Amino acid sequence: MMGWEAVYLQQVINGLSLGAMYALLALGFTMVYGILELINFAHFSVFMVASFIGMMALELFGLSGQSHILSGFALIGVMVFAFVATMLGAGLIGVAIERFALRPLRGIPGTVGMITTIGVNYILFNIILLTEGAGSFNYPNPMPRMEWPIGGARLELRELLIWAISLVLMLGLHFFVNKTRLGKAMRATAQDAEAARMMGVDVDRVIVMAFFLGSALAGAAALIFGLYYNYTSFIIGYTAGLRAFTAAVLGGIGSVSGAMVGGVIIGLIEALGGQIIAVRWTDVIIFSILVLVLVFAPTGLMGRSTPTKS
Amino acid sequence: MADRDTTVPRASSIGAEVYGFLLRASPLQRLAPHHRARVLMTLATVVALAFPILIDRNDADIDSAANALAFAALALGLNIVVGFAGLLDLGYAAFFAIGAYSYGFFASAQFMPAWSGFWLPFEWLHLVARLHQDSGDLVHFTVSFWLMLPISAAVAAFFGVLFGAPTLRLKGDYLAIVTLGFGEIVPIVARNWPTVTNGAMGLNGVAAPQIFGHAFGIDAMPYYYVGVGLVAVLIFTSTRLKQSRIGRAWMAIREDEIAAAAMGVNRVKFKLLAFAIGAAFAGATGTFYVAKLQTATPEMFMFPVSVMLLVMVVFGGIGSVWGVVVGALILQILQSWFLEDLSQWLHAFGRLINVEWLQRVELASSIELIFGVILVFMMLYRRQGLIPASKRVQALTLQEQTAQVELAATPMVERLRVLGDLTYRGTAPLLDIKDLTVRFGGLVALREVSLTVPARSVVAVIGPNGSGKSTLFNTVTGLVTAESGKVRFADYPIEGLPPHDVLGRGMARTFQNIRLFANLTVLENVMIGMHARLRTGAAGALLRLPGTQREEAQAREHALEILTLFGNRLIPRAEHVVSSLSYANRRRVEIARALASSPKLLLLDEPTAGMNPAETLELAGQIKQLHGQGLTIVLIEHKLDVVVSLADNVVVLDHGEKIAEGTPDAVRRNEEVIRAYLGRSAAVGNAPQGSAALA
Repeated sequence: MMGWEAVYLQQVINGLSLGAMYALLALGFTMVYGILELINFAHFSVFMVASFIGMMALELFGLSGQSHILSGFALIGVMVFAFVATMLGAGLIGVAIERFALRPLRGIPGTVGMITTIGVNYILFNIILLTEGAGSFNYPNPMPRMEWPIGGARLELRELLIWAISLVLMLGLHFFVNKTRLGKAMRATAQDAEAARMMGVDVDRVIVMAFFLGSALAGAAALIFGLYYNYTSFIIGYTAGLRAFTAAVLGGIGSVSGAMVGGVIIGLIEALGGQIIAVRWTDVIIFSILVLVLVFAPTGLMGRSTPTKS
Repeated sequence: MADRDTTVPRASSIGAEVYGFLLRASPLQRLAPHHRARVLMTLATVVALAFPILIDRNDADIDSAANALAFAALALGLNIVVGFAGLLDLGYAAFFAIGAYSYGFFASAQFMPAWSGFWLPFEWLHLVARLHQDSGDLVHFTVSFWLMLPISAAVAAFFGVLFGAPTLRLKGDYLAIVTLGFGEIVPIVARNWPTVTNGAMGLNGVAAPQIFGHAFGIDAMPYYYVGVGLVAVLIFTSTRLKQSRIGRAWMAIREDEIAAAAMGVNRVKFKLLAFAIGAAFAGATGTFYVAKLQTATPEMFMFPVSVMLLVMVVFGGIGSVWGVVVGALILQILQSWFLEDLSQWLHAFGRLINVEWLQRVELASSIELIFGVILVFMMLYRRQGLIPASKRVQALTLQEQTAQVELAATPMVERLRVLGDLTYRGTAPLLDIKDLTVRFGGLVALREVSLTVPARSVVAVIGPNGSGKSTLFNTVTGLVTAESGKVRFADYPIEGLPPHDVLGRGMARTFQNIRLFANLTVLENVMIGMHARLRTGAAGALLRLPGTQREEAQAREHALEILTLFGNRLIPRAEHVVSSLSYANRRRVEIARALASSPKLLLLDEPTAGMNPAETLELAGQIKQLHGQGLTIVLIEHKLDVVVSLADNVVVLDHGEKIAEGTPDAVRRNEEVIRAYLGRSAAVGNAPQGSAALA
């Protein structure tokens, strides 16, 4: 029996793990919005499809369920392969969506692009539903069950791993956006695509890059989802995607650091809100945050551009 | 804009040709357009009424048809919000849910308070029944279906306004997300509020409608005819609204919100009206649907339903009344009949050729995949949908295009009479600006600018790019808020008034970068300019009483007369979409639109930009004639010859400050003006050279 402090500490640990996942997923929304001012609904399903790619990658090593435990270099090797394969697969799906569904519509004002991504989302969603079925799958997980007691709560190996991977990926992205040539081109395009084009930036390449990176991070989030909850299903994209989108809005859509902060906040709200109020109201709390932020503080915590563009 | 117009025909050129051929070959083509509409309408009515007999009274099929009608009704409602007003709503099913639960609550045994004298009058009105129980009597709600139809519509409309009000400032994709949020919250609340909704279990025993004391049974037929009636009423309502002042205001907001406000459309009011009417359609339909199913569960109103309705609207044609009905019916029929049949055929085919997986295919479960494909396909290749909302008018022939320009066939005075009195007769200056300061963040766009425009004068505002000329217009017309300063128009303080009120008081404007309603016709654009001078409201548009008809006919006639101000330049193009017009003609339409509001003061922002010398001269002459009719004009202009020939007074702005004011000649010689345009060295050098460059 845990004391109430321990219960809350445990929920903070859970919330940070969820938050890391939402932050990775939110980055994809925010990067595409920052450059194209497009809310990409297909991102929901890219995340979901990626979790199936990750599952197949793990199954390549004969893993199934949680019974087969690896350790040492074998574990590291399998995990690195699974992450690289999933991120690459998800990234390529993102690039394909941009190339075939969105590029022909570039420059058309209004909500045409967003409606198209809703359609793409439905297509990906139903391809998985029709080929894999509506059941949920036991996710292969080769991580040994190790845990350390902290103040009455448990800190598990999977949580440390999730934090570490998320931190590495986000630092990597931060470095890429702020220190590399292509990152600078990306920031320039986000500010003013037309001016960037005139300064010699290959805007098409920057947009493809944004879709690739955003989708690849969604791939990482998807694998984390599978390893954290030990299951996947065709339906995971919608709830996780909407929460991550709320995180992006809360942080300030278009802002990379905002997406990270927003993700952690939403993760904590989900874990602690479920504890304090009731799990069945969690979604109402999160959607209310989404609506309230958009209506009253549309730039979010760290956003720059106003969404009431004319 | 231009891109879209060129890519659409190419992408679907084969389809368009086939379609065009069928259209030309059909006997309908020999009828006049208004007869054609009547013939099609009669045909649709006959088919709708005879349908149950045509399909041999198969109850399951009639039931599917009744469901399809419910979705057609919902699509019509969503079309008001998305198609007419251009507000993308991804949570529309929430209003469907609200209508459904409204009826479910008041016509079922879900909520039964203890009986008391309070309920007696309601019992007398047949709204409740007294249920005798051993443990004490209970109240059973038995409100009639027919009464609940309008009540549910009103309740849903109330929630439409409630949800709509905070979201009015948001545009496009952000609005979509907020509505999606509302759309998610409503079913969750329904699931977690068992007292009212019985939670996930769903409402039980919702009463069937009654007519003359006979309850509808389990037979689908009566529901089918109620559905036909509902859809007919909603088609009628949509069409009447679309073809009225209300519909034009919605389409103006859809095309360009800022320009709509500047032309007198109250954005808040008309957006809320669209939300309310759209929600009302869903509320009534929810009542119908629940009465038919006699239960309601939260799952019936989730995101997929909102998306399905969006697919129906996109498929049929955004903004097209008949289009969305056809789109909804086709998709529903596809879902409930065709895919089932196709699956059966595939199974039979699979058995024939002995292929295992073909015998197991269930196409009905792939309906959402089909929805996704339809959305993407329509967006990429046919954004106007199956039945486009606006017909394209044949382009002018080469002969018509190159026709001799004819101007002023009848005297100007005659034609301008339709505008009413353009002259301000008060004693105060018509426009009086005092110490106006406008700041954008750290940048001071205007610093303590004062300016007086006497009635019947022409004042030109000149200055280098970025000197604050357009900001001055934007501030005076209410699009930009000033930090300090006073603006009086016709002796009335107008600072802080919203743009539509400024126009209502008699000040109209054009925009430097042309803000027309790109997908509407020349005539529609000009008629939107009259918005503030017309009175028709939603009820008037629906009833179309003689008064409304007269107003509408008169407005149309006046709009055409205003177009004749520009000779034969716009008249032959009155039914053309403005995005197909030349640059100079678009400028003329914008001026005509502003004049349609019968202004006392006309603000022209670079009216001759992009015109060649001959066109410039022509327009300058027309402006002069308008002035001759007593209209007061303020114009921003770069062409100094235009300024000199028109203006009584010239005001020069530089870096947001007024640096000179006076007659055109005096200003032309002013050293500070020359310095502002050409830099310090030119002013120090010799003035005549500078002024030559200026001119």
